[in-house]
Amino acid sequence: MKDLIYKELMLAMHPAAILFLCLSSMLMIPSYPYFIIFFYTCLGVFFICMSGRENKDIYYTMLLPAEKRGIVAARFLLVVLIELLQFAAAVPFALLRSAVYSGPNEAGMNVNAAFFGFAFLMLGLFNLVFFTKYYKNPNKVGVPFLLGCIAFSVCMLFVEASRFAVPFVEHYLNAPGAQNLPYQAAVLAIGAALWALLTAAAYRRSVKSFEAFDL
Amino acid sequence: MTVLSVKNLCKKYEGFALKNVSFDLREGEITGFIGRNGAGKTTTLKSLLNFVHPDGGEIRFFGREFAPHELEIKQKLGFVSGGIDYYPMKKLKTITDVTRRFYHEWDDAAYRRYMELFGLDERKTPKQLSEGMKVKYSLALALSHHAKLLLFDEPTSGLDPVSRDELLDIFMDLVQNEDITLLFSTHITTDLEKCADNIIYIKNGEILAEEGLDAFLAEYKVARFSGGVPHDPRLVGVKRERTGHTALVRADDIAALDAEITDADLEEIMVHMEKE
Repeated sequence: MKDLIYKELMLAMHPAAILFLCLSSMLMIPSYPYFIIFFYTCLGVFFICMSGRENKDIYYTMLLPAEKRGIVAARFLLVVLIELLQFAAAVPFALLRSAVYSGPNEAGMNVNAAFFGFAFLMLGLFNLVFFTKYYKNPNKVGVPFLLGCIAFSVCMLFVEASRFAVPFVEHYLNAPGAQNLPYQAAVLAIGAALWALLTAAAYRRSVKSFEAFDL
Repeated sequence: MTVLSVKNLCKKYEGFALKNVSFDLREGEITGFIGRNGAGKTTTLKSLLNFVHPDGGEIRFFGREFAPHELEIKQKLGFVSGGIDYYPMKKLKTITDVTRRFYHEWDDAAYRRYMELFGLDERKTPKQLSEGMKVKYSLALALSHHAKLLLFDEPTSGLDPVSRDELLDIFMDLVQNEDITLLFSTHITTDLEKCADNIIYIKNGEILAEEGLDAFLAEYKVARFSGGVPHDPRLVGVKRERTGHTALVRADDIAALDAEITDADLEEIMVHMEKE
């Protein structure tokens, strides 16, 4: 597996996916729909799969002593790494933001622990929808990405709308900084757990689809 | 020793099917896999490595079934479809560095030797290589992990005659000196006449012939008719030429044929058979 991951990093990784990690710094914009930062993470994943198609990555990898299951697993590990790095890069900016700017976010949800929990959920949904469709035919990347974006966007709109529709969300989960931290921490934990479950489900389905796929 | 054994391989597509494809490859021999475009050569080769899933049949490499022993079998295989057409913008050095990690028997000294022998520069990208050099790079990769069986899908297509001849020399050296078994599909039949020991001929997804090249060539003659062509069921694939007509005829059937009889080469056999 480590050889396949090395291949992912040396050959399959698209520079844009690394560049998009820097966009975690957008948390320093005083008001912004910050979930968009994680949309860029999805865009990075799309670039990797798209350039993989153009570079015949799957064909090359299938020639190597590697099983289809392993090929899918390595791609998932790369994506998991990128997504976690996006969070890791975002946390320092979130702390810095709360230190230098105390006002609320006028353009969307405030940056707090619950925000990251919801972001996990959005990425989990994207992984499930995108990869399940993508591995049915890795030569078609556009439609899976579109469907993944729809899943991400619907979840984002739902979360943003719930702030207005559900007082609990506005008062407890949208609190700036660390107010009501236990509630926010619970959302973070549930979001992260759902991300892990959805990604694991996406992996299982992807392996099944990819095993059946004829190159 | 049989290096590859294929029995009753079947794969059905809409409008095309591989029908009970069976053949064997013996160690240390070059086998040519011929057939016109769309006859099933690439599908057969892809089925061997599970790139496409056969509907039925048995494939054994080195006496072992492919699916349960995929990783160990691939350690001893080199598969090249034309030249390399993956990661065209990455340096050969990077591609090699990734590839070598997958092979237990990777031999850096052999790799350096072949890169030098083939005149390949690691700092180049596949995009900067000619078609011939791409095939040579694939070959260098395969030989550096001591592949015992090389499967080539049209390695000489797109090469100039000099490069083709050079490559065929390399193939013959490999078989002679390193006991490598080689199967290559092509529709350039003259390449096979230069180097192949055996021939597998596929037409519309069915194997028409699988035998030694010399025996195969000896089975057929070309009958040339300057005037009209008699209606004779022994004549195969009658076709027009500048000075008359030609047809293929089995060597046993040439008696009492009122025609000029000449030896048949592979191209003539294929062209006439495909007219049937």
